[in-house]
Amino acid sequence: MLIIRVCPDSESLCSSDPSSKMSSQNTDPAAAASTAALKGSEAGGSAARGSVTKRLQQELMTLMMSGDKGISAFPESDNLFKWIGTVDGAVETVYEGLRYKLSLEFPSGYPYKAPRVKFVTPCFHPNVDEQGFICLDILKDKWSALYDVRSILLSIQSLLGEPNNDSPLNVAAAELWDNQEAFKAHVNAVFKS
Amino acid sequence: MSTNSLVLCRGSPEAWATVSAALVKQCNSHPIGDGFIHLPPPSVRQCVSEELAVLCTSGLGRHLESWLLNRLQTSLATAVAPEFLAGLEQPENELEERDRARVLLDAFHTLLEKLEPFIGGLETLGRWQEEGRGGLSGPGAEALRDRAFTIIRARLLFSPPAALRRRVLEFYSRTFSVHMSREGRGREGGSAEDGGPEDGGGACPGCVGPAGHCWCQEALLQLQELSDILRRLQLLEQVSSEAVTSIMHKLLEQRMEQHCRGEYERSFLVDFDEWLELVFGWLDRVFASTEEEGAAGSPQGWTPQGWTPTLGPGAAVRGSGSMLEQWRRHMHQFFCRVYVNMRIEELFSIIRDFPESKPAIEDLKFCLERTNQKQQLLTSLKSAFESRLLHPGVHTSDILTVYISAIKALRDLDPSMVILQVACQPIRKYLRTREDTVRQIVAGLTGDTDGCIDLANELSRADPVTLEMQDSEDEGGALEDWLPDPTDAVKDKTGSKRRSSDIISLLVSIYGSKEIFIDEYRTVLAHRLLHQLNYNTAREIRNVELLKLRFGESHMHYCEVMLKDVADSRRINANIREEESKAGAGPGEEPPTPPPTPLALSAMIFSSEFWPQLKEEKLELPPAVSQAMEAYTHRYEKLKAMRTLSWKPHLGSVTMDVELEDRVLTDLTVSPIHAAIILHFQDKSSWSLEELSAKLGVSKETVHRKLALWQQQGVLREEAGGQYSVLETGSSRERLERSVLLMDSDEEGDSNTTTQLEQREEKLQLFWAYIQAMLTNLESMTLDRIHSMLRMFVATGPVVTEMDVNELEAFLQRKVREHQLMVSAGVYRLPKAN
Repeated sequence: MLIIRVCPDSESLCSSDPSSKMSSQNTDPAAAASTAALKGSEAGGSAARGSVTKRLQQELMTLMMSGDKGISAFPESDNLFKWIGTVDGAVETVYEGLRYKLSLEFPSGYPYKAPRVKFVTPCFHPNVDEQGFICLDILKDKWSALYDVRSILLSIQSLLGEPNNDSPLNVAAAELWDNQEAFKAHVNAVFKS
Repeated sequence: MSTNSLVLCRGSPEAWATVSAALVKQCNSHPIGDGFIHLPPPSVRQCVSEELAVLCTSGLGRHLESWLLNRLQTSLATAVAPEFLAGLEQPENELEERDRARVLLDAFHTLLEKLEPFIGGLETLGRWQEEGRGGLSGPGAEALRDRAFTIIRARLLFSPPAALRRRVLEFYSRTFSVHMSREGRGREGGSAEDGGPEDGGGACPGCVGPAGHCWCQEALLQLQELSDILRRLQLLEQVSSEAVTSIMHKLLEQRMEQHCRGEYERSFLVDFDEWLELVFGWLDRVFASTEEEGAAGSPQGWTPQGWTPTLGPGAAVRGSGSMLEQWRRHMHQFFCRVYVNMRIEELFSIIRDFPESKPAIEDLKFCLERTNQKQQLLTSLKSAFESRLLHPGVHTSDILTVYISAIKALRDLDPSMVILQVACQPIRKYLRTREDTVRQIVAGLTGDTDGCIDLANELSRADPVTLEMQDSEDEGGALEDWLPDPTDAVKDKTGSKRRSSDIISLLVSIYGSKEIFIDEYRTVLAHRLLHQLNYNTAREIRNVELLKLRFGESHMHYCEVMLKDVADSRRINANIREEESKAGAGPGEEPPTPPPTPLALSAMIFSSEFWPQLKEEKLELPPAVSQAMEAYTHRYEKLKAMRTLSWKPHLGSVTMDVELEDRVLTDLTVSPIHAAIILHFQDKSSWSLEELSAKLGVSKETVHRKLALWQQQGVLREEAGGQYSVLETGSSRERLERSVLLMDSDEEGDSNTTTQLEQREEKLQLFWAYIQAMLTNLESMTLDRIHSMLRMFVATGPVVTEMDVNELEAFLQRKVREHQLMVSAGVYRLPKAN
């Protein structure tokens, strides 16, 4: 009979990964030096832009490393505050096989203020108007500093498949939604226009 | 010519005969022994004067001079010179050295005898000219004499016969060794030249004659005599300098070869100075023998100038003095040159032995300042480095060790650091190509390797050296000490002020940036912390503090966080343990309290942002362990809100006892995977490799490798069909073997942290993600645009993100070949989505 007793001094290693649980907190290494007491510390005025840059750079890094399929974004030029995003329509939705471009603009108050996100590619959708503006709660009143570009893009991707037909921006689209065949034809027509 | 003159001028033949006879006969009639012309009786002088007057009135006076010189020349060519040479050659082989010396001396005696009349005659004529006797005019005694000596020199020594040179050389060598053995006996205690026992009946060290037949004294007398004759003929320099020079050079080189070669731990300057003093004693004998002159000072009163300046005692001292001075300078210079030459050849070895070879460096420095051989030194040292150090066969740590020695040695040798900078350029360039350079330097700094202990010492000296010396304010104080750059300094933008000699700065600057070093140090630090697992960081804290002084606070920030993590882990661990025991004592307070595990788990918790990337390895731990980990995580989450743990199951260590039927293995410390393997055998005593591999989520190769430890321990046995089973009872023989506990020899090396190469691969992967993203969103881009985008946006984290355009282009080309990228007209885009 083999009995193994593990002695009291055994050790193991692990790393605490703050971003895995609360993804948007505590990502600025310089500030993290004073470890825990970071909560709620809001950078004011002058340092703001620098820390926004840092945050955006970090978000870009996270996005790159995440390797999510179907969503992507990258700064448009050397201006870190303007990004282009790409969202692929999810499979088994009417948007499958379509690739939509979005523009993301980050205010200087980011991440305490929501970025301005709109479709560049024409999109026929109950919650997207003809200028591409999106009606999505997390981009408006439900915005929180805990969201990031990745979560925005993921939300938009799922919004495509699951529109909120109760408060449509595009009433025609909302009415057509129940007829998926017709809706899909319309989507394709608008997409190509 | 003279006869022509006679024919033209009638009435003067008698006068010519009288005068010429007076000039030449006068000389013939006098003994030569002491070499001085005795005054002719007054009556003769009177008569000669009258005849001279006759000659001059008939215009023949001016021909006297050329006639006399002509006669000298003729007689030299026809009689004197051949006789002289014949005298030297005659008894070629049968004579002993001692006799040969005699012959040499005799030959010169004869020569002097033969020439003296002419010189005397010219002397007289010259005096007449000076006195203007009978209206005679001419260049004067001195000039005439010079002319005569020029003729003699030209005739005799224009191409000195080999025999003469040979003889002279032999003679001087002998007298030199006689002198040295005599003088050296007194001063050096016989350590010089031959060093043979003198009174023991052996050969005399000076003349090598058999005992009792020593002719040292005689030789020295002969030397004096020869010197006198030569000086009188003004041949001294011509005849002897060549021989003297070659003797001294040869001996100096010999001596240097014998004493200094390979010997770096002693200074030779004083030694050679003393020796040179002895040599100068001999030179003194050769070029000035003052005693003799005192005795022969008789003609002093005859003419105000004395007939040869070198014969007047005062003049002799002056003349020979300046000559000796010249020799002295020459020899010193020669010594320096020979010494520098030798040391240049040996410089590599000297550097290698540096702290011990300091005296040699100091000697070299002294001598190098006096010769102009810096360039030679640089060329030679550079090529020595290249041929002896910079090839694949040399270990990096050895190169570093030599480099460090070179820095120390060369900054002593040349405080302006120019030599250091130029000569070590190849080393630096080469080190840049070695992959483990940084690792070695960092290991040296932290005192990990025994190779470069110097570095650790250097670090602990901890001068707050500013690495880039960006401060220009420090100029003020050093203004007085400023020296212009030597002309051979490398012209670079940094200027002399920045030519640092600080070892650590120099090493770190090999790569031009300290970031790479700090990264590497981080890796090393992580490695060390992960390996000891005992929360003991005193030594690391010290190192980090020292490095902070060097590199600045901000650069060491990550390392500080790492150390703080260790300290925090210890605290959290204690905290959780305490809570655990409390939970165990009072159950029921919380519904999901896990059952008390037999595992006492202590964790090392580190902030993932600050540690270098750890190797990812999959390992499925047995349920008991993962439960314990979950429980631990749970408690941690309660303790630190908003945070969680992600475990690295393959890192760490397990201490365990293994109880078998007939034996117990206690306190085995093994890696988690070893522990996991053996734990599985607790439930089931026989496993196949496949099963284990599936259970653990680890490749079969790895499992197989890890099983070896337990086989070695005699716990497991491999059976036919790839089955492993537990050996409950071990044979006695095996037990014997087991009594020596073989610990896990850490067979995969120590790479818990990723190596530079892997990091690079990861870096490329990261770049690729960025490139894909930018092409997805921005459709198409040129190489330059991609490059600048990467530069702009890939700047996070401690990962070195430098990548030049060419490197990037190569990378993109690779992706094109792999069909992951398309390129047309210099614009890259992603292939159409499939």
